[in-house]
Amino acid sequence: MEEERVSESMLILILGMGLVTFLPRFVPMAFLSRWIFPEKLRAGLNYFPVAILSAIVFPSLFTDGNQVGIQSQHFLAAIPVFLFAWRVKSLWGSVLLGMAAYGLLGFVL
Amino acid sequence: MNTNGFREGAKAALPVILGYLPVGITFGILARQAGLTSLEVGMMSLFVYAGASQFLAIEMISKGLPTFSIVLATFFINLRHLLMSSNLSVYLKNVRIPLLGILSAQLTDESYAVAVSKLPLVKDKPRYLLGLQMVSQVAWIGGSAAGALFGSLTTGTGWGLPFALPALFICLLVLQVKNAHHVWVMVIAGILSVFFKWLLPGSWYILLTALFASGAGMMIERVWRRNA
Repeated sequence: MEEERVSESMLILILGMGLVTFLPRFVPMAFLSRWIFPEKLRAGLNYFPVAILSAIVFPSLFTDGNQVGIQSQHFLAAIPVFLFAWRVKSLWGSVLLGMAAYGLLGFVL
Repeated sequence: MNTNGFREGAKAALPVILGYLPVGITFGILARQAGLTSLEVGMMSLFVYAGASQFLAIEMISKGLPTFSIVLATFFINLRHLLMSSNLSVYLKNVRIPLLGILSAQLTDESYAVAVSKLPLVKDKPRYLLGLQMVSQVAWIGGSAAGALFGSLTTGTGWGLPFALPALFICLLVLQVKNAHHVWVMVIAGILSVFFKWLLPGSWYILLTALFASGAGMMIERVWRRNA
């Protein structure tokens, strides 16, 4: 396995990327955990999870690159997953159902 | 402190593993094609541990773009973690800094989303979060190493695997919607995020949507309380 080495330029890249991904993850957790939030900010934080998750989910259904448009395979597979997640609230089940729906749609579309 | 927190967290990572393995394998295959060695693939998944940035990095490497521009792009993509880290900090008040260092280094969109769906388990119990995130990252490193080492043997995208993570996020989103305010925030965030993604490069859309939509949520709450 003589090819298993790390080139200097790749090491610099990996450490650079490591540093800039670490800082936004670490700094708020380290400093804000030692700080008492004002009540108003805390109320806003209640909506963070819904807002962030929506911002991850909806663009994956309604954009393709930077173009707006329905991603039909994603969109159609998402419908049963939404309903299942809402009624059954199972993470595992949602993932498996989503994969099955997406896989089947791949044959049909 | 009970040791079972770790095990409970590790169990909660199972749906994340199902998403990370195929994506990790895909990353490993593509990174090898872009000229990285298997060891470099493994190191990147260990030290960087950010899916979107890693895919973008190998894309930029294969186009011959300079290191600095790749690091800069990575920085902007991962700014969204500022908000997730801020959010979780509220529940990790009494955790020592070295442990916070590990917990924050392993923070991802997925682990954040699972953690906020289990807040009573996360609050002041770093072991739960540690178990969840440690197992998730092992799956990511394992997947990318497997893709790098054995990638030429498989094809990768069958079996509906590309939809594993989107389905996970849909369910985690649905679990967060607990009242009418949340429905409104979801609708507003959905529209804003598509608009911002169309308008702006990178992952600014997540950051801006999170700020504006949670601001809108606070305003809705205030107006409803006044009218009640």
